[in-house]
Amino acid sequence: MSENPFKIIRSTDQPPESLRKEVVSSVKFLMLMMRFVQLFVADFSLALFDKVRKADGGDAAQTKPRK
Amino acid sequence: MDAERFAVLYDRYSPKVFQKCIGMTRDRDLAKDLTHDIFVKVFLNLSKFDHRSKFGTWVYSITYNYCLDTIRKSKRLREEEIDERTEEGVPMDESSEAQLLGLRAERLDHVLKEIEATDRAILLMKYEDELSVVDMQDALGLGESAVKMRLLRARERAMAKYAELYPEEL
Repeated sequence: MSENPFKIIRSTDQPPESLRKEVVSSVKFLMLMMRFVQLFVADFSLALFDKVRKADGGDAAQTKPRK
Repeated sequence: MDAERFAVLYDRYSPKVFQKCIGMTRDRDLAKDLTHDIFVKVFLNLSKFDHRSKFGTWVYSITYNYCLDTIRKSKRLREEEIDERTEEGVPMDESSEAQLLGLRAERLDHVLKEIEATDRAILLMKYEDELSVVDMQDALGLGESAVKMRLLRARERAMAKYAELYPEEL
């Protein structure tokens, strides 16, 4: 039986050496961005909830239902 | 995962990803760009890998889909154009398969360069990577009939292109 011609013409090229550096750099950059976003979002929500608690606390004292 | 550990994954899977990209695009520079983007995509989606398949299979399914999407976008191909046949109950047409596998390698190479990239991609999945229909369903997110229909159409169009390029052979 003859060999599968798709196997004969299959590419055997190796990726260029520079590509590894590019991929690793991109991944490092993404990690940095993710860390930055994580920190920013965490701080932002913390600050937001902190304000909500304060405002709520203040309002609650002022709008205490009268008996 | 840190970047150095990711580099280990890159070393392991990049040759095959790059070769698949070349096979699908026939363009080394584009294949390089696609390989870069595919590994970025793999990194961003690592948490979505659910261990149902092998890691390599998952990486290659990202490769197929990303290459196909890029090819479609660049050529603005319309999906399933002008073929009104139904996808239900597609028979496995073994004669066109035997014809295709009987082609001489250099002629097949020529035919693959000339056909639409989407047809080339599905033929490479089936006959170069020898994926089963089930694996192709998983990789492409299609049903069994749709995969079989696409394969059938791709084979027919490849053989039609062969007849056009080598009329003396018929």
